[in-house]
Amino acid sequence: MTNWELENRKQQSYKRNKISMKKPNKLLTRRILVVDDDEELCHLLSQYLLKEGFTVQAVHTGVSGVERALSGEHAVVILDVMLPDIKGFEVLRRIRAQSRIPVLMLTARGDDQDRILGLQMGADDYLPKPFNPRELSARVEAVLRRSIPDLTEVRAGPDEEMIDADIELLNGARVVRRAGKEVDLTAVEFDLLKKFMKSAGVILSREEMVRTVLGRDFSPFDRSMDTHVSNLRKKLGPRSDGSDRIKGVRGIGYIYVLSSHSRGGKK
Amino acid sequence: MQSFFIKIFLWFWLLIVVVSGTLVVSAGVIRSRSSDHERWNQLYSFLVELRGRRTAQLLDRDGKTAAQEYIDSLERVDTGNYKENKNSLRDYLFDEHGQEAMGQKVSPQIREILSQMNRYSLGQPHLFQQERIAAEKIVGLSGQPYTFVMPIPEPPIFDQIYSFFSNDVGREGIIYLAAVLIVAGIFCFWLARNITSPINLLRLAARRIANEHLEARVDERVLVRRDELAELGMDFNRMAERIDALIHAQRRFLADVSHQLRSPLTRLNLALGLARQGATGEAAEHLDRIELETERVNKLIGQLLTLARVESGVDLEKKKVFDLGVLVQGVASDGNYEARSRNCGVEFRHTSELVVEGAFEMLRGAVENVVRNAVRYTAVGTNVEIVIDRAVAQSGSKALIRVRDHGPGVPETDLAYLFLPFHRGSDGVRKMSNGSGLGLAIAERAFQLHGGRVTAANAPDGGLIVTLELPIIDRSEEAAKIVLSLAHSS
Repeated sequence: MTNWELENRKQQSYKRNKISMKKPNKLLTRRILVVDDDEELCHLLSQYLLKEGFTVQAVHTGVSGVERALSGEHAVVILDVMLPDIKGFEVLRRIRAQSRIPVLMLTARGDDQDRILGLQMGADDYLPKPFNPRELSARVEAVLRRSIPDLTEVRAGPDEEMIDADIELLNGARVVRRAGKEVDLTAVEFDLLKKFMKSAGVILSREEMVRTVLGRDFSPFDRSMDTHVSNLRKKLGPRSDGSDRIKGVRGIGYIYVLSSHSRGGKK
Repeated sequence: MQSFFIKIFLWFWLLIVVVSGTLVVSAGVIRSRSSDHERWNQLYSFLVELRGRRTAQLLDRDGKTAAQEYIDSLERVDTGNYKENKNSLRDYLFDEHGQEAMGQKVSPQIREILSQMNRYSLGQPHLFQQERIAAEKIVGLSGQPYTFVMPIPEPPIFDQIYSFFSNDVGREGIIYLAAVLIVAGIFCFWLARNITSPINLLRLAARRIANEHLEARVDERVLVRRDELAELGMDFNRMAERIDALIHAQRRFLADVSHQLRSPLTRLNLALGLARQGATGEAAEHLDRIELETERVNKLIGQLLTLARVESGVDLEKKKVFDLGVLVQGVASDGNYEARSRNCGVEFRHTSELVVEGAFEMLRGAVENVVRNAVRYTAVGTNVEIVIDRAVAQSGSKALIRVRDHGPGVPETDLAYLFLPFHRGSDGVRKMSNGSGLGLAIAERAFQLHGGRVTAANAPDGGLIVTLELPIIDRSEEAAKIVLSLAHSS
């Protein structure tokens, strides 16, 4: 690891610490940005989530949604796909261009393409609208649980590093490199890869993956885990010898196949 | 596919060549015939004198028999030479009194000629073009005048054709024909191109629209022609615009309805959630009920939108080639998970590979609906069995997915209506207690859109068998498709 990289990482953790020091940590991690053009719904949602212990800021246009999401004041964004000015996907793209803030998309029911596209573009989760509010707050909690350890681990300092052939995963910095080049992964994809590398060579059932990576109960016919895996596969590409890193095990789940000369584990 | 071009080109070319060839040949024949006749006449003017003198000589010197023999021999030779000739080729010699010298029978036509010969002077051969007869007054050895009459035979056809090609007129004709061949070739090529190229452009536009490129329009080159094809092009464009507008309107409508329905329902859900926070006792029970019902409406809206989406066919744009077994395996394992809560299971063994092409998500959703329906109705403790198979039909190989449950089945009279939206069995056995009544309808439409079909039958030992059929891509075709898709994606 070069000095420059170390310096870079220090700055990153410093930045995050500074933000968390400026405001009480609890408030930041429980603050939600809702981007939806339905003002009445935003009002009801604020009321509901407030009782669940969240604070909510609601904006009604895509442009202001992007602006607010990038302000660093929120822990999670709830983003509707249908917005009056710019499409939800475009909002997501603009957010993802600069930030890894968790994004939960509200998609139209009966529209698989929206779900796939949203997850491909880096949404952390999705919920078809109309949704059950309890389901929403459970999803938000799950998304938050995934993103918080990240902050604490950075502060904790020691980097956990996992290496498998040309793939290098730096847990603290949440960086994944393939052959030295950084791969742009979403938070879910990162956690997924970490889970895979930790249990390399072991078949992971889809249920277990949903529970540990998405942090929620598995429900059959929910294909979001498959979409995440497929996105991760695409981003990592095949091994140098052309073989798949992640193989599907029919009817069960997936397996991360170890390369013959990998070291793996902690370093 | 250039056959139309080639047809037009060859037909017009052939037509022009044949017509002009006929013209050249017939003009040549007419011209050569008239020149032929001139030559012929000259020949016979000479011949009539020669033969006349000889006959008169023989008559005067050797008597009637010798002259008769001579004339007979001439007739034989002429008849032998000019086989096409239908008229008699017998020559006649008349004395000054108009009597045939050898006593031959004379036809009235010859008599008529003879009477006309009185007007002409001695030693002047005369040709009767119309009758094709040559005649001349001749002086015999003893000085008495005779009139010799001989029919002129038709020139033989072979000679005519031969003379046509050997004379200048024929050679000119061949040059004419070659010129016509080249000029007509160029012209017909241009003509055929002119007709077929706009048709090709029209076809291109139609094909693009059929492949869901609704923005495709007929090329400008067709529209500037100011003819029927240009009008066809304009009408085509108007049609395409209309289709484009309608489909866009339908998609917008779908999105609008989705938006309009889901917004109040989402708010309703939230208000319900708020009411539940802190509700106790009887109120909580009622709220549970409200929540259950709103969840049903949620599902119904989802399925309505799915059905509308499937019927609109928008997802067909995203076709891909995949193994049907993998799709069914995924659905089966999820179905198995769901079935466990009822102490049931879903059995499926993935055997051979069945490669199909289609919108994966749409087909997965369709199979899922059928499997979940089976899981819902199969008796507690039984398994839903899924088998995939290959069937060879006349129209090509088909993949069959058979989903069999061990439930109460469906009355035979209701089987045909099973796939209608919101259909409920007449005896109410298959009440859609959990489903919306759209699942099987969605499945049927999805498979129909892929060129397949869905049927249902009761198993002999109880339970329902739903069979889903889908065309299989043959190995060779599939390889070509994959090559094609790779070429597209790269």
